[in-house]
Amino acid sequence: MEPNPGTLAGSISIRPDQEETGFESLQFREEIQRLIAVPPENASSFTALLELPATQAMELLHSPPSEEGDPAPLSGDSLHGISDDHISYISSFNGNPTFPSNKALVERAAKFSVFASGENSPETSSVPSNSSANLEKVKSEPAETDSNPNSSQPLVSDPTVESKTQRSAKRKEREKKGKGCTKKSKNETSQDAQKLPYVHVRARRGQATDSHSLAERARREKINARMKLLQELVPGCTKISGTALVLDEIINHVQSLQRQVEFLSMRLAAVNPRVDYNLEGLFATESGSLVDSNFPSMVAPLVCPEIPFNGSRQDYQQQWHFDALQQPLWGREEDSHTFITPDNSLLSYDSANSASLHSNQLKMEL
Amino acid sequence: MRSPSSLKQEFLKRWMRGLQRCTSSSKKDMNTLERKKVIKLSADLAMASARNGKTSWSRALIDNASGDNDNRILAERILGPESDILIKRVSTSVGTVSCNRKIRSKKILKRSCNSVRRVRKATHLPHHQNVLAKSIAKRLVQKRTQILKRLVPGGEFMDELSLIEETLDYIAYLRAQVDVMRCIASATELINRNND
Repeated sequence: MEPNPGTLAGSISIRPDQEETGFESLQFREEIQRLIAVPPENASSFTALLELPATQAMELLHSPPSEEGDPAPLSGDSLHGISDDHISYISSFNGNPTFPSNKALVERAAKFSVFASGENSPETSSVPSNSSANLEKVKSEPAETDSNPNSSQPLVSDPTVESKTQRSAKRKEREKKGKGCTKKSKNETSQDAQKLPYVHVRARRGQATDSHSLAERARREKINARMKLLQELVPGCTKISGTALVLDEIINHVQSLQRQVEFLSMRLAAVNPRVDYNLEGLFATESGSLVDSNFPSMVAPLVCPEIPFNGSRQDYQQQWHFDALQQPLWGREEDSHTFITPDNSLLSYDSANSASLHSNQLKMEL
Repeated sequence: MRSPSSLKQEFLKRWMRGLQRCTSSSKKDMNTLERKKVIKLSADLAMASARNGKTSWSRALIDNASGDNDNRILAERILGPESDILIKRVSTSVGTVSCNRKIRSKKILKRSCNSVRRVRKATHLPHHQNVLAKSIAKRLVQKRTQILKRLVPGGEFMDELSLIEETLDYIAYLRAQVDVMRCIASATELINRNND
């Protein structure tokens, strides 16, 4: 009986990290309510637990500590202040955990697990990878980038099964340890709890439910969500775990972009004797050929030296800006890491084309 | 979300306009450095004005540009007819922020002192390895946040959340700018090469 609720409880704790939609939350709710018929929380160990991760991801469900021998139910945690949107859920709880259906929260929570301050015990490492893999599919929150991960169907069933086995294994481990290692198991459970991007909004026992911790939690979640967006924007950041390293990457990226701007502006200044960029008929291209090419950056004018060409080029020119700007950008959005090396492709493309120079003035009426 | 292509178009348009406005009025030929400055400045302002002062970094950019007297005239010229409105908007928003800045900077100082003290205490008594590691990680993150604040224009006085949002925006802008500039640079080079 003991392992059973424990396992179930543990499974519930993992499940939510895959949850991504409101529908799932409903399903979970029912299941959890069933499970919660089981033992009430275990006061002493819990309060001790609760104090620990005060500054960490709150939405994580603690697995009950094992040294008490009692499987405390999953509902232990309070996930206050997940966000203002979801504080309304809190009122609907009376002892039943619910899962606010905000994908963003789940993301953030899981994100948090990745961002947990610097230390990742080997135990936790498996779950964050699991959750982060799932999160790739979660649709991110206020879409600030184009490269939002697509929301997939929430993978409820499979992860649940996996997580059940994981959790049961861990639980058994912990149960073996006995009472001597209170702190350690608390530690573990708190770490385990960190892994679980559980969007559970219930007041933890003994946890300060004051506005400060709520607000701080909400704040932390927001920050983590934004960090996730940033990670996606900066190429090569998605695999890095840990806020400090991600920030490093972001800083490097911004610095390199700024340097590139400097360099390019110098280049432009050198190239042109007068600061006169009327784009006078310089950019003639066949709009059709643009579609084929898949440049990581904007298509440059395709100039072929030998073939003089007159007349009909004029119509292209004014279209050029829009076409050139729009088409390669589709390619651009896909390769996020190739924007640094366009020049080779530009030059090679150039030789392949038969556009030519024009000396007409391009109107800048765009 | 603005698509990058529209971003680039907008940027290109404003940039060219700004450059035209700038060069049309100046008679003398500038040397390379001046040209570079003009180019960069107009590019920056172009993007900043494209944001219409909605984002903090754009406001800061415009503010910086208008700060120096020599730049200011140039900036105003580049920004063109709508410059007055834009600068006013920027200055009002910046003005309200500046009072907060002083308060915030004091708070930040206090907080940093306290946190340093706290961390030192923590290191003395690592009653739990967790706590020590956490504090170390926090310091790392804080350091990097400081660096990021310096990088993003107007970032010094923002809290973390807005800093991250600004960074997102700023990166998108920088990318668009780099792409457009690179394109034009290589285009012009090719053309010049063909002309010779």
